[in-house]
Amino acid sequence: MNLFFVVLIPFLGAGLAAWVSRFGRLQSAWMAGGVTLVALIALTPSLPAPFLGETLVQRIPWIPALGLDLVLRLDGLGLLFALMVLGMGLLVILYARYYLAERDCMGRFYGYLLLFMGSMLGIVLSENLILLLMFWELTSLSSFLLISYWQHREDARTGARMALAVTGLGGLAMLGGFVLLGEMVGSYDLSVVLANGELIRSDPLYTPMLVLILLGAFTKSAQFPFHFWLPHAMAAPTPVSAYLHSATLVKAGVFLLARLFPVLSGTSQWSILVIGAGLATLLIGAYFALFKHDIKGLLAYSTISHLGLITLLFGIGTPLAAVAGVFHIINHATFKASLFMAAGIIDHECGTRDMRRINGLWRYMPYTGTLAMVAAAAMAGVPLFNGFLSKEMFFGETVTFSANHTWDWLLPAAVVVAGIFAVAYSLRFIHDVFFNGDPIDLPKTPHEPPRWMKVPVEILVAICLLVGILPAFTVAPLLYVAATGVLQTAPPDYDLAIWHGVNAALIMSVIALIGGILIYAGRRPLFNLATKLEGLLDARAVFDGLLKGLLALAGAVTRILDTGSLQRMLLVFILSALTLGTVGFLGGGAPLTGDRDLLPADAVSLLVTIALIIVALWTVVLHRRRLTALIVMGALGLLVSLIFVKFSAPDLALTQLSVEVVTIVLLLLALYFLPQYSPAESSWPRRVRDIGVACLAGGGAAALTWSVLTRPYESIADYFLENSVPGGGGANVVNVILVDFRGFDTLGEISVLALAGLGIYAMLKDLRLPGPTCDARGRPWNWDMHPVIMAALTRLLLPLALLVSAFIFLRGHNLPGGGFIAGLITAIALIMQYLANGVEWTHVRMTSNLHPVIGAGLLIGLLTGLASLVFGYPFLTSAFTHVHWPVIGDFELASAIAFDLGVYLVVVGATLLILVHLGLMHHASHPGEQEPNHA
Amino acid sequence: MLSIAVSIAFALVSGALLLSLFRLLRGPDKPDRILALDTLYINTIALLVLLGIHLSSSLYFEAALLIAMMGFVGTVALCKYLLRGDIIE
Amino acid sequence: MLEMLLSVLIVVGALFTFIGSLGLARLGDFYTRLHGPTKATTLGVGALLIASVLYFSTRGEGLSLHEILVTLFLFITAPVSAHLLAKAALHLRVRSIAPPPPEAEDPLADTRVRAGD
Repeated sequence: MNLFFVVLIPFLGAGLAAWVSRFGRLQSAWMAGGVTLVALIALTPSLPAPFLGETLVQRIPWIPALGLDLVLRLDGLGLLFALMVLGMGLLVILYARYYLAERDCMGRFYGYLLLFMGSMLGIVLSENLILLLMFWELTSLSSFLLISYWQHREDARTGARMALAVTGLGGLAMLGGFVLLGEMVGSYDLSVVLANGELIRSDPLYTPMLVLILLGAFTKSAQFPFHFWLPHAMAAPTPVSAYLHSATLVKAGVFLLARLFPVLSGTSQWSILVIGAGLATLLIGAYFALFKHDIKGLLAYSTISHLGLITLLFGIGTPLAAVAGVFHIINHATFKASLFMAAGIIDHECGTRDMRRINGLWRYMPYTGTLAMVAAAAMAGVPLFNGFLSKEMFFGETVTFSANHTWDWLLPAAVVVAGIFAVAYSLRFIHDVFFNGDPIDLPKTPHEPPRWMKVPVEILVAICLLVGILPAFTVAPLLYVAATGVLQTAPPDYDLAIWHGVNAALIMSVIALIGGILIYAGRRPLFNLATKLEGLLDARAVFDGLLKGLLALAGAVTRILDTGSLQRMLLVFILSALTLGTVGFLGGGAPLTGDRDLLPADAVSLLVTIALIIVALWTVVLHRRRLTALIVMGALGLLVSLIFVKFSAPDLALTQLSVEVVTIVLLLLALYFLPQYSPAESSWPRRVRDIGVACLAGGGAAALTWSVLTRPYESIADYFLENSVPGGGGANVVNVILVDFRGFDTLGEISVLALAGLGIYAMLKDLRLPGPTCDARGRPWNWDMHPVIMAALTRLLLPLALLVSAFIFLRGHNLPGGGFIAGLITAIALIMQYLANGVEWTHVRMTSNLHPVIGAGLLIGLLTGLASLVFGYPFLTSAFTHVHWPVIGDFELASAIAFDLGVYLVVVGATLLILVHLGLMHHASHPGEQEPNHA
Repeated sequence: MLSIAVSIAFALVSGALLLSLFRLLRGPDKPDRILALDTLYINTIALLVLLGIHLSSSLYFEAALLIAMMGFVGTVALCKYLLRGDIIE
Repeated sequence: MLEMLLSVLIVVGALFTFIGSLGLARLGDFYTRLHGPTKATTLGVGALLIASVLYFSTRGEGLSLHEILVTLFLFITAPVSAHLLAKAALHLRVRSIAPPPPEAEDPLADTRVRAGD
């Protein structure tokens, strides 16, 4: 299970690193470093497996029904990436500790960084495609946080948003691709997918699936035409760029190409799409890199170009090209990270990144200059540096590939052009910055950075050199297992030697070197030309245009649909519902009246129904006089609950009655601050229209009810009725459903209720509204706050009401009642005291702090559920037993009653919290009446 | 004899219900309506008690109990609103 | 004999309930109307509840006490409701058939003396 720890540790560490920053700036750096080391240590027991040719798979069942498990794998490819993510992470953590300024929050930085590290590890170690996608999205989110780390800067925010939009869209497309892929082979497990290459490539849906997955990979790896987000992500702090754009984020895309290489490659669609995108990216990146004056801009475009190179290699599709691709992933990560770090040092020391001003730094920082030169030489592909080796392999592969195709010279020629530009921009990075005259108008006087800031660069540069000179003794074993992981078989023979004799690849390298030097020598006219061409190929403008268009479209649609008129919204809503319902019903061809026999109507029911209709109509007539309408509506609720009683729904009746009174109290509390009369705002024609629409809606609902009630009723209800006593130990099916069959829903519902109560409390807590000092006709309020008779007799009622509540609660499992109704009754009983005796009187005698009540309720509900887990049953399984109590007789004890107690407490707490705080809003408006009433 | 008595009682209580309803809808003043609502609640209790005797079922008492309690709270809240505007103070 | 008693109680109770509502519907002003429900209806429902107690207690299932609780509730709340309603009506100066006595003008309203409270 150690792989789970590898992935989990950075996520846990993210919180820790953020937390320890309160004990000092540097604590979080230490913590982040420690966490990364621990993750590395957790990985070590698994290290030998890939070298022995094994693929480790560790599995924890999660949602087996959906084929979704938490399952991780470690093979050569995963191992290489895990080591890069963790190793590079350590170096970046060390570097950032010196890079970040005093005012930057360290805890936040390292928290985000570890979050990102964990997500990245999740991608490279996932065995399940859906799991991989989740981590993929997590990298999009965490990189958004990292890129926008300097939140006060507009460019950081824009850049982060752009990266999120582009990679997020890609992730969405990839989800579609993964679903198609998973459906093809019948499993989302990579092992199964990787073993079914033939099946997948011959599937009719192969092409759409490929396009969708490639969209994900290309957006992440900044392939043309989605490359534009990467340069804008340079607004991030340089350690972030060094991490994201060398070894991690952008490599996730090429990781995916490598991961699915055995199943997706080898078709013409793959070759066309991947080679096309790779080649275009390679060329565009190399071209733009040369003409960027910003150091990091240059590095950004060179990153794009190198990613294109790797993509191109995977697109070629031969096993040897894949080996070269993996090799270049390693090499690019080392030299690009060191170059970003060097650029960060230069930026840090000079206060600017503009290469037109930074010149001749050799005099100030020769040591950093030497390191940068080594890394830049590796980037240019100079012999004896690691970039040379993979680039040679790359050149060789393009030549081999072209030999079998028409237009055979085009691909090698194009990559040589890219090679020439690569040499030229590498040369510019060194010559412009460290030589080329004196610095121009720098904000700071540059000098060598602190000792430890250079250490990560030194390590990376040493790797560049060691790999470049002694490849067989350094990188060879790792490369071998990683290539095995990509190909899922042993890779073909290849030779990592520096000297292969004079062959096409060597000649191409030489041309690139010489051509690059020549181009750089003649750069002035080229720069002028590039300035003129600028803006022609601005992908950002296209993106912005698209975004603007999308926003305008959304705005237009919203303006059409939402004019700010509630009547109109309701009209659209009701008419669509009616149309859909009518069309659906007529389309079905079923008669409106079903074949069920009607029951005879008795006189009392008929009377109550007619009364109900009359009162409802009268409420509408009176609705402008708000208080009167409220009084009449009280009768409406009463009649409805009578009907519930008549038709054997006593639980509903009890709930309806309690809710009715709570509603009246709530509305009265609100009405105090509102106008007492609703003015007539609509013209007559509109009112006629509204009446028509209302009649249509009511008629529709009535027709629906009629057709449902006249049909035989078969539903899941029978199951509940049969299983209520044997399964839940209660005769009251409604209550057993609430606390047992659907206990999980109820837990969710009381959580929502608790949240609503707390939310309303938060909004009302400090709100003080002046209430009117006289009623609507200008009469002052009565002086008698709490009439004696009311105050005294209501106190007498409290124990009675609580008794009723306890009674309803205890019998709830078998007869009408239960926690919810009992909670409402208790709340009303207490509200009665507030009404009759006032807030102060009540608060002296009862706690005014209701949060613990709500919290205790939720906790009891949750613990009851968890208790069944302890006994090995599913969450919220109810246990019950019959106890014989003397005198009282047989008594049933169900664990559900504890759960019901939780419901009860939450209902009491939330209802009281809301009502009392609504009542307290005006407290300050009766300044003279605050003394307790001496009744 | 009991069933005849219950039938007569049903008719009388239903009549009472209708008369209270008439006052509720007619008004004219707010205290009239509140009084009518209160009476309506009590009439409903009578109706439920009769229903219980009629069907020999004690299932309706909880509803009657709640109506007695809720009717009172509703009346108090509404009267308090008329008197003070502010019902929880 | 029991059935006789029950029948009488039920009919009398229902009759008083009806009379209470009749008063509510028919009498001339709010103050007179207040008499109906508060007196007649309470008495009527009380009689019905006693009938219910008798009915359920004599069926061999033990003493039925729910009705007592309902009765208690009603008898405690009825005066409070009536008092509050009368207070509200006086406060709102609801029209009365009889000329209002001078005390009904609520002399304390302006001075806000709380001593007698």
